[in-house]
Amino acid sequence: MLAERAARAGVKNPLAPKPPHMPDKAKAKSVIFLFMAGGPSHIETFDPKPLLNELNGQKRPAEFGEAKYQFIKPDARLMGTKRTFARYGKSGIEVSDLFPHTAQIVDDLAIIRSCHADMVVHSAAQYQMFTGRIIPGFPAMGSWVVYGLGNESDSLPAYVVLPDPHGALEGGQPMYSNGFLPAVYQPTMLRPGPRPILNLSLPAGVDPAERKKTIGLIRQLNEANLREGDEEFEARIASYDLAFKMQTEAPDVFDISRESPETLEMYGVGEEKTDDYGRRCLLARRMVEKGVRFVCAVSGGGTGETQWDAHANIEENHPRMAVQTDKAVAGLIRDLKRRGMLDSTLVLWGGEFGRSPEAEGGKGRDHHNLGFSMWMAGGGIKGGQVIGATDAIGLKAIEKPYHIRDIHTTVLNQLGLQQDALSYMHLGRRERLTEIQGEVIREIV
Amino acid sequence: MRRWAVLPLAISLVLPAADTYTAAERRHWAFQKRTHPDIPAFTAVSGQAWVRTPVDAFILARLKKANITPAPAADPRTLIRRLYLDVTGLPPTPEETARFLASPTPQAWEKLVDALLASRGYGERQAQQWLDLVRFAETDGFEYDTQRHDAWRYRDYVIRSFETDKPYDQFVREQLAGDELDPNNEEYRVAAGFQRLGALRKNAGNQEVASSRNEVLTEMTNIVGAAFLGMTLGCARCHDHKFDPIRQKDYYRVQAYFAATQEAEVPISTAEQQAAWKAKTDALNTRIKDVKESMKGLEGAARLQKTKELEALEEQLPQPLPSLFSVQDDQTKAAPVHVLTRGEWNKRGDAVGMRPPGILLAPDIPDELPVTTPKPREILAAWLTAPDHPLTPRVMANRIWLSHFGRGIVNTPNDFGRMGLRPTHPELLDFLANQLVENGWHMKPIHRMILLSSTYQQASDRQLPEAAKEADPDNKLWWRFERHRLDSEQIRDSMLAMAGTLNLKPYGPSVIVPVQKELIGLLYKPSQWKVTEDASEHGRRSIYLLAKRNLRVPFMDVFDSPDRLVSCPRRESSTHAPQALELLNGAFSNQLAAVFAERLKREADASPQRMVERAFQLSAGRPPSSEELRTSLDFMKTQPLSEFALAVFNLNAFLYVN
Repeated sequence: MLAERAARAGVKNPLAPKPPHMPDKAKAKSVIFLFMAGGPSHIETFDPKPLLNELNGQKRPAEFGEAKYQFIKPDARLMGTKRTFARYGKSGIEVSDLFPHTAQIVDDLAIIRSCHADMVVHSAAQYQMFTGRIIPGFPAMGSWVVYGLGNESDSLPAYVVLPDPHGALEGGQPMYSNGFLPAVYQPTMLRPGPRPILNLSLPAGVDPAERKKTIGLIRQLNEANLREGDEEFEARIASYDLAFKMQTEAPDVFDISRESPETLEMYGVGEEKTDDYGRRCLLARRMVEKGVRFVCAVSGGGTGETQWDAHANIEENHPRMAVQTDKAVAGLIRDLKRRGMLDSTLVLWGGEFGRSPEAEGGKGRDHHNLGFSMWMAGGGIKGGQVIGATDAIGLKAIEKPYHIRDIHTTVLNQLGLQQDALSYMHLGRRERLTEIQGEVIREIV
Repeated sequence: MRRWAVLPLAISLVLPAADTYTAAERRHWAFQKRTHPDIPAFTAVSGQAWVRTPVDAFILARLKKANITPAPAADPRTLIRRLYLDVTGLPPTPEETARFLASPTPQAWEKLVDALLASRGYGERQAQQWLDLVRFAETDGFEYDTQRHDAWRYRDYVIRSFETDKPYDQFVREQLAGDELDPNNEEYRVAAGFQRLGALRKNAGNQEVASSRNEVLTEMTNIVGAAFLGMTLGCARCHDHKFDPIRQKDYYRVQAYFAATQEAEVPISTAEQQAAWKAKTDALNTRIKDVKESMKGLEGAARLQKTKELEALEEQLPQPLPSLFSVQDDQTKAAPVHVLTRGEWNKRGDAVGMRPPGILLAPDIPDELPVTTPKPREILAAWLTAPDHPLTPRVMANRIWLSHFGRGIVNTPNDFGRMGLRPTHPELLDFLANQLVENGWHMKPIHRMILLSSTYQQASDRQLPEAAKEADPDNKLWWRFERHRLDSEQIRDSMLAMAGTLNLKPYGPSVIVPVQKELIGLLYKPSQWKVTEDASEHGRRSIYLLAKRNLRVPFMDVFDSPDRLVSCPRRESSTHAPQALELLNGAFSNQLAAVFAERLKREADASPQRMVERAFQLSAGRPPSSEELRTSLDFMKTQPLSEFALAVFNLNAFLYVN
């Protein structure tokens, strides 16, 4: 009865799975965005700059050109890094000592060292990273992807954000939002604590068996007013069936107690410093396994100190943030791989920008959007390579520069979605994630 | 004669190249003068009987052409519920329904329509639609999302304007140029806050004055296109419009009207209040400065400690004194306006002056006015509200139609351009637009004409003539009324009304309702969500809830309430499981179900049958069918009344208007 109704209402279910625009190109079915909020430094992670160490304490030589920062003034001095780099894997890609675990999986990563974006302040840069626009009000890529492909799961939301419990980000709710797309494409924000999804559990003191009878009454009364062929009412009745299914089945996904100790260890779950982000990465895998389309696991929240926003002291901030995330990130890639899920899961890593080659206040680094690193893995991405380059001090992307819109285009491409076809008519404009034509990063697909 | 032509410095018959338009561009229907169509007449008695207002004549003429018979009138119960929810956003009380049903004559309907159009509910309901359109919010958005403590005055201004049936041309003038019309008129100053409704990016550290100003000007310009012109002007910011004959230069010419516009907070407090406020603020700022100083060089836990200290101090800063959230012209700060390549602030092309888009002036296109022209926005408003303007009255008449039928005559209400949909009933649109202007731009007569029509009073039954379903499956010709889901405000306000706890207090500062604390935790500054202490305020109508950009109340959000960042001319109406979860498990509906149950008990002397009957009257505006009654009574034999009450909130009979 339930399945039959759901099937009949399927035509009207906007979340029913949809075929991609380019089935032959569709490698990935799901996306996990490991968002490093606040902006990790490319110079301390994936983009070694020996010259910067040589120029430590000097003013930026004129030949590197101009840059605008949010805080530091034009008279700031270049600052070398204390991190050391070594080559790893068959590919021999350089990774800094901040990421000993990620270094071990570097052959799976396509590191794009030539990312660039338009804004140097958090909120606007976060909007661009998530929605392609520097102003709020546009749909985030998670919403776009679900709009394009629907949901494979009928008991879990299609687009889930796992924020950092330290607090929210500058971009706030609008950075993850469905914008002008219908509310059905909105993100589900997973909260820490016993009630991770809003309204998924019954209010305190309500007996599930009793409430089931209430749902039965609702169905009976709504069916009393249902006429043959009334698709909208069918869909609404079906949405209650679906809600009930979510309510009973979704909590399972949050129960990680049945994961093996070895798996938990891979993610660093149970270890003080890594437990938190480890759980988020593990949940991301568990959700993707159930067919969730887009998961964003955020590292960083609250004030700049608890993000990657190392204004005061990069050597205090980055090692702390790196320890919290490195093991979980590598664990996620390994776990996806051994389960045969990596091929169909695109993992994207990065912040809303990188950090300045110049020092801020002596030990910190300011925001920097003209050149920074992101990486992709899985979902048909050719790993074990470095794409593009910044100049010799990490100021600007000079070789094969890729804009955020190119990152977006590549993500869509791996899902078999075409940036032009994935559009929505809004206020007289055919809006799309990329706004201006983006380019697929050919080297890695 | 166009008012434009009488302005000084205008008139030149030499057309710059960019101002030439192809015949095809000029032929577009929306740029043509309004026609004055004859009201179709009908010889057959049936036609004459069906035509109650001219609206019906236009609708029937099209239906006859398509050989479709309109649906019969809906039954009076359905009609009164439709009317109340539509006009006031609230359901009729069972008593109001009973009174109408005692004598549901056309005269009684007319009286009811007039009474509701005169009610405050009408103002509140119409205002919400306008607030959606102009992306009204009470916070800046972006990372600080600072509260605009006086923005509610604009909300009240809009409600009062609709309530008092302010002429639409005046409404436009006040919002675009209230400060120029009369800087000492408080109402006008509040209206001009319209210019500042867009989201505003502020950041610490180095300021990019020019790029920030460009963002502000973009917001001011685009909304003129969206709200008043029904043109996607914003598309021409980066390049010539791809589909409409709006050149990039036109975009910046419109922007030039705002070159001198600057933010203004107009104080309305006494000198003593201001002095006391300043003393307190200065003292705190000194302490804040000290803490900031002491933070220098600190790291890790020590820095975190100081950050917390700083936040605590910042929270103590007094709320700003009441003032008017407005704008004013400052010619000394008016920077020249340039065409910007790709819309980028630092890629300057030609400097331009003020002028409306050329296509709407052709063939006798006047010169631009210099940006130093005094009262520039008054000039723009005068052009927009000229009685023969091809767009302004059509666009607003279409919005009025949309507000009653859920679909516009032009169903792209913000886009009357070539990519927009064409009107389904062009003569009717022109007729309504003409009526609007001829009635002195009063809007209530247009609403009245629609509400009294047979078209509006048709049944929404979907089982009606197969022939009609086949010939016009989408009901584009209006052979029946279109059933639709209540919007988020209607659902919330109706639930409060059903439970008997709706607080109808109008106007004033906005209310912050309790939401889950985890949700507040998702704010960058959780301290910004300070729940209004007086709990009776939590039951106010939804239009009085704080419109915060970075925290949307989930109940409203899930039922497609817009995000207040971009103009929303028409609500989406989606159907998905989180709506069911919100109504089943959400705190709002569960708490209210208990209150609703208490009311049912009280008003039905604890008789189960009377309770069910009362519940259906309150929610669906009708008694339960025998099946509904039986099913409900069976349930109530074993289950708590509050569970029955909760179920009622979840019924399609409640959530939809027939």
